[in-house]
Amino acid sequence: MTMGTRIAAAGAVALGMGTAGALAQEVAVITPYLAQPGTQFYVDGFTAEGEERGWTVNVIDTAGDVGAVISRIEDVVTQGVDAIVINVDPAQVGAGLATAADAGIPVVGMDAGSHPDVAANVTSNGYAMAAETAVYVANRIDGEGAVVMFTFDPFPPVQVRGVIADAVFANFPDIEVIDRITPDVSDGGIADSRAQMEALLAANPEPGSISAVWAAWDQPALGALQAIEAAGREGEGIVITGIDANPQARDAIAAGGNFEASVAQDFEGIGATTAETVARLLAGEELRQRVIYVPTELVTAANAAE
Amino acid sequence: MRAGLRRFGGLAGMVAIVLFFAVSLPDTFLTARNLLNVTQQVSMLAVVAATMTVVMVMGDFDLSVGSMASLAGVVAAMLFVAGWSIPAALAGALAVGLLGGLFNGVMVSLVGILPFVATLATLTVFSGAAFLISDGRTIFGRDIPEAFGAFARGGPQVATVDDRALLLPNLTLVALAVILVVWVVLEQTTYGRRLYAIGGNREAAVLAGVPVRALRLSAFAFTGVGAAVAGLMYASRVASANPTQGDGLMLTAIAAVFLGMTLTRDGQPRVLATMAGVLTLGVLDNGLTQMRVDSYLREVLVGAIILAAVGLSAMGRRGLRGRG
Repeated sequence: MTMGTRIAAAGAVALGMGTAGALAQEVAVITPYLAQPGTQFYVDGFTAEGEERGWTVNVIDTAGDVGAVISRIEDVVTQGVDAIVINVDPAQVGAGLATAADAGIPVVGMDAGSHPDVAANVTSNGYAMAAETAVYVANRIDGEGAVVMFTFDPFPPVQVRGVIADAVFANFPDIEVIDRITPDVSDGGIADSRAQMEALLAANPEPGSISAVWAAWDQPALGALQAIEAAGREGEGIVITGIDANPQARDAIAAGGNFEASVAQDFEGIGATTAETVARLLAGEELRQRVIYVPTELVTAANAAE
Repeated sequence: MRAGLRRFGGLAGMVAIVLFFAVSLPDTFLTARNLLNVTQQVSMLAVVAATMTVVMVMGDFDLSVGSMASLAGVVAAMLFVAGWSIPAALAGALAVGLLGGLFNGVMVSLVGILPFVATLATLTVFSGAAFLISDGRTIFGRDIPEAFGAFARGGPQVATVDDRALLLPNLTLVALAVILVVWVVLEQTTYGRRLYAIGGNREAAVLAGVPVRALRLSAFAFTGVGAAVAGLMYASRVASANPTQGDGLMLTAIAAVFLGMTLTRDGQPRVLATMAGVLTLGVLDNGLTQMRVDSYLREVLVGAIILAAVGLSAMGRRGLRGRG
């Protein structure tokens, strides 16, 4: 096939899609996690954008049952939907993805994960989020002092955050990372982080001996905050940052204490961008980028209440 | 006559559901691909429901099957992580199912705890054990051998439709094998007839010299192993294991047995009738999804249909007794 015929073929496909578009495209959104708050926002963002485009959006919740996600993917493939959006680890629903691929129905991940049978995954950039807070810490302490890091390398999405913070801090000659802690997360991460931070505070009793705490997510930041307050050292100006901006973290940031910054993901934006990505696929575009990032927002006392 | 009417009513209801979807979804519902797909989707439920039938024949229950399914999946996955081969890990998980089932049997038949209470307690024990050994995590990715996940996707090819291979799913074949075993045990052996005797009248069975204790104890082994098989099938289908993934199977399996009982003479649990119940539930999920019925409304509808079927059957039976 020459380049010319290939373009002509692509045009024909796009035209065909255009006429089908008049008949209203149908997109199925399948997730086991609709009851979780974040997922609601993804789905709302997607549905709003999809309905604006005139699609029929069918949201299917399997109430925590990942196996049923496979069954429902098979069902909507049989039904003949135009595209499928999933919000579940693609590795666990590979059997369903294979069915969709076999039938030529595109699948887009909405903060799902990468997979050969997923045309693209729309998510937040963990590298960028970590860069935001790591740079915030470095700037706040004027590029010098002792920094404590809370990371969790066994979980890949959190591991990438730690890598970036390592790089940022290493780039400041006067910043010393005095400990890189992997907290026990079996009880949520706050309690063990607090205990580890208490031990560090005890080992570094001099005021100013710890300048900042950088946490790869909010729970260790909250634990560190508790430890600092319990030790009566909240007046030393120790800067704490987290990532994810969960409600508890927002409250702490808004209170104006040591916990100064976190990063909020734009869940509705991820939903809307997923819809745009589906539209591109339906228009016959071949996606080069298999991972599509939606910008995140630094949350500080200035905007934490929003 | 009345019993015949009642059974006919149940069967007519199931046929009506299939016809309804066949008419509503003319292009996609009654295709070989979709029907084979339904058999695959219900295969895990079929295994749990078939073995649940064994204890329900005696008038007992096993509420622990869902958490046993989760536990078996997690056990196999942890054994994979520990470097065991696939057959060895599967055998280990099935052994856990057998032991768990026998433990239920001991509690019910030797200690004499009501099945509802005993298996409610072991439900919690098995579920806690699944969390304990997995640390609450989902085990997936490289920890799960590729061949294990591939099993649930594969199956002998029976035809090629629209240039796409049509497979007889492996999971369906496993379910058929389990159903066959349960059918032979319940319908073709003295063991099975004795279980029905216990369900009919336990006192009479004791007086007639039926070893009720031993039979009740052993029957729970079926639900334990069946739950473990289903848990492994589920783990293979999602190529991963987490400590809650099988939990939903228990209530649906009991519902399927009850649905099946609306089809049988005297309202007894029969494994083939149970399978009709399983298929009805599977067809409802499949058809309603294809008709874009809201997933929550779908749950309400499925529950309402179970109530309607079992309710009508109960009314029919009461009418029968009133006449007798």
